[in-house]
Order: sequence, then structure tokens, then C-alpha cells
Amino acid sequence: MQGTMEKIDDDTYELFFGPAHPGSGNFSVKLKVDGERIVSARADPGYLHRGFEKLMEYRLPLQNAVLSDRICVLESLAWNLVHAEAVDELMGVEVPERAKYIRVIMAELSRIQSHLIWYGIISIGTGFDTGFKLAFGYRDFILDLFELITGGRVYPAGYICPGGVRRDLPESAEEKILNVLDKIGKMIDFERAENPANLARLKDVGILNLKDAIRLGATGPVLRASGLKTDVRKEEPYEVYDRFDFEIPVRKEGDAYARFQIGLEEMEQSVGIIKQALKDLPDGDFIAKEFSKPKLNMKIPEGEAYIRNEIGRGEAGVYMVSDGGIKPYRVKIRGPSFLHIIPVLEFLLRDAQIADVPAIYWSLNGCPADIDR
Amino acid sequence: MKMKVVPKILKNMVSKPITTRFPHESNPIPDGYRGEHSYDVDKCISCNLCAKICPNKAIDMVEAPEKYKEKYPKKYPRVDIGKCCFCALCEDICPTGAIKLTKNFFLSTFNSSDVIKDPIPAKEVEDRG
Repeated sequence: MQGTMEKIDDDTYELFFGPAHPGSGNFSVKLKVDGERIVSARADPGYLHRGFEKLMEYRLPLQNAVLSDRICVLESLAWNLVHAEAVDELMGVEVPERAKYIRVIMAELSRIQSHLIWYGIISIGTGFDTGFKLAFGYRDFILDLFELITGGRVYPAGYICPGGVRRDLPESAEEKILNVLDKIGKMIDFERAENPANLARLKDVGILNLKDAIRLGATGPVLRASGLKTDVRKEEPYEVYDRFDFEIPVRKEGDAYARFQIGLEEMEQSVGIIKQALKDLPDGDFIAKEFSKPKLNMKIPEGEAYIRNEIGRGEAGVYMVSDGGIKPYRVKIRGPSFLHIIPVLEFLLRDAQIADVPAIYWSLNGCPADIDR
Repeated sequence: MKMKVVPKILKNMVSKPITTRFPHESNPIPDGYRGEHSYDVDKCISCNLCAKICPNKAIDMVEAPEKYKEKYPKKYPRVDIGKCCFCALCEDICPTGAIKLTKNFFLSTFNSSDVIKDPIPAKEVEDRG
């Protein structure tokens, strides 16, 4: 822990966690500490503001699809999907079946790699370096798949675009995806082993009960770890999620270890979904006819749409308004990390120990890029 | 339980490392990779679409150098790789396939003028002239 210290009286100090702390990632928390105990915490976002909502008002939907990669670097394909669905709904596009399956496969691969980062970063935050290296090593296999399918390792450049997907799956992709899923299975086995280091650092740390979780607006894995069985993929199935058989992992404890376990179980479910999707993958077009060649003068019909999706971090939403022009009139992006990292984190850090800050911070799986947008 | 570790260590000692010794060797790059642009001035019809679709405005339409004005009288795209986000929208929209993204990702340079790719490269102008 480093940072500047402001002495308030003999026992109370102000301590900065981030933005230069290796574990915080372009985000900082101002902690008021009394000895080892945290009296109060104040989240300090804004280091990564890029103004996507305004930028999107000046660009065509196709260009916005490229821009939507950057909303959250760690989950670019999931954000591609939310944006593309909003445009699809406004334009009333009939997305081909094959495109829907490819979208699901890519979104789930993106979820697995995001959860691997989550596992890796919790591990390094709590001093378990082996877990970090293994998780990032296995994530690289998924990045290789992204490179093969989308043409870029981290940024797919709007691979999931309005109307479908920009390219078809290459011939060798199916076999390679199954091959990578086997490897991910090995990683899940490794994570499943109850590691004393993880247990000691995460068990009974940062307990968030269900009432507070709902009051503070938690969604996704954080809410499920507190005991509410909820998942947008089941409640309001988008794309073809209603055709797959998968479970929603839920935990009652609400501590950092429960959140960490939820991530692990979701990875297993995602592997199952991808295998089912690959089995039923239909033939046909991968993009709707009107979008098969980029056009500059495509009008978005007047109206508004709100799309919510379940991404790795929670519930992501895009609200789009069009006044009938070629560019959207207003785009509002609802990122899941905002509520997790500002109200929930401030609440959990109160009365916690300084040594538990990284464990609590990373168990919430926040992405500073999607808080600031 | 503990004895399981020993065969694993022995196996790791003889197995190939997971990493490759970049830049001496590199993992194979798949065909659809989005890297440096390749541009064929003879196929280009100067339709201006690539400059219009570019989300980062990395493509400018410029005139050919004096010596080539007769052969290439129109305006042609000049790509600023420093601004480019490698989204390949220019490749998708190009009606003749004049602009394409290649597999080359070795783009770092010490010379800032290297990042600007003229439609008819300056080197070619010197060689012919």
C-alpha cells in the first residue's frame, strides 16, 4: 500500500489506495483509517473518462460498434453485443439464426476470459502469484481464438455489429474452440481445489447481505453471491439463450469467497453453453442482407430502445434514442461496475481492515473503464 | 496427495515451454488478422468512402506527387497509422478491394514520418525519379 498520508490526529490518517497502486487500475479510493481499521472510504473515479455517450452522438452505428469495444477493455465483445442489439431493435432488423448463435458463443467466450482475469487479479491481490500466472496464461488461449475469429486479440473492432457479426466463423474455429474449452476445464479444476491462501484471505471478508445488495443496486455475480437468483439471460432471454440448458449459481454467504466461487461456477456454465451452441450451430447467413456491405446513409427510424444484457460483471444496458437521422440522438450507457465500485465498495470498506482492501475491491470485479465511460 | 507433485515436476522439466521466444520466433498469425494496410493505387477509384467511414479520421484524401499527376489525376487515401484503430471498416466498404489489412503487426518505429502511409510511397517516387 502506497500513497500520500495526511495526518488528521494522532491515530487517524488519510490513505490513498490507487490510482498508481498496481491492484487498483486507474481508480482510487481515499481511506480514512484509524490504526488498521478503516473509518470511512470515498471512491474517486474519473481517471479514465473518454465520453462515449457524447462521442456516439457524432458517429454512425457501424462506427459506434467499433467504439463500443472500448467501453470495457476486458469485455469488449459483451459490450459489442449490447450496442448491436440496441441498434437492431431500433431498426427492426431480423438477425439471421447463425449470427445469433455466433453472438452467444463469442459473448460466452468473453465471459470466460473476463472471469479468468477476475480470478487472476484476486489471486495477485491476495498474494497468490501462481493463480495469477495460470489464469492469464489460460486466458491467452481464448485471446488466440479471438484473433482467429475477429482479427484482433483484445479489440474485436465491432465484431458483433448491427445486423449480425462482421465475419463468419472460420472453418477451423469449431475444433479450436472445443480444444480451448478442454484446456479451460483444466484451469477450472485447478481453481476448484480449495486453496488455503484464498480461503484465509477471502472467507468472511466484505460480507454484503441481500438487503444491502439490493438497496445499493448490485447486479450480476455480486447480487447472486448474496443470495438472489437472478440472471438476465434467464429472465429476459436475448439472442438464443432460451434454447440452452444452464444453471444460475447462487451463494448465500455474500462474502468475498462466495463472489469468487460464483465466478468459477459461471465459467463452467459458460463452457456448457458454448458446447451446446456449437452443437446446434445452423448454416446460413451471418449478417442481415441490408448490413452485408457497410453503408453511410442508413437512417435509424425514430424511436427509443433500452437493452439489458448479462455480462461478466453484472447487468449492462444501452438506452438509445433516435430522431430519424443517420446517427443516434442520444446514447446512455449503464455499466455494472459503477454501482459495485462506488456505493457497494464504500459500504463494504467501512470498518474493514486495511489488509482486506484488495480482497474486497477485486472480489467486486469492477472495471474502471466502464465506471468512467 | 503430496506424491502427485513429483511426477508433475518431472513432466514439466522435459515438456516444451508454453511461451515462444519473440521476436526470434512468433506464434502463427491467422489470415483474418487486422494489421498494417496494403493499398493498390491502380485499383482505387477515388470514391472517398474509406475516408468517410473511418471512425478516427485516419484517412485523408491527397493528391499524387507532381511526377505522377498525369497518370493519377484524382485524390487518393493517405493512412495515418498513428490514428488508425485497425477496425477494417475501410477494407469492408472498399468497392474494388484496393485497400486491405495485412498480417504485418511490426509497426513500432523511431521515425514519426513512418506512420503516415502515402498512396504512392515517397521512396518509390525517389527510385523512379
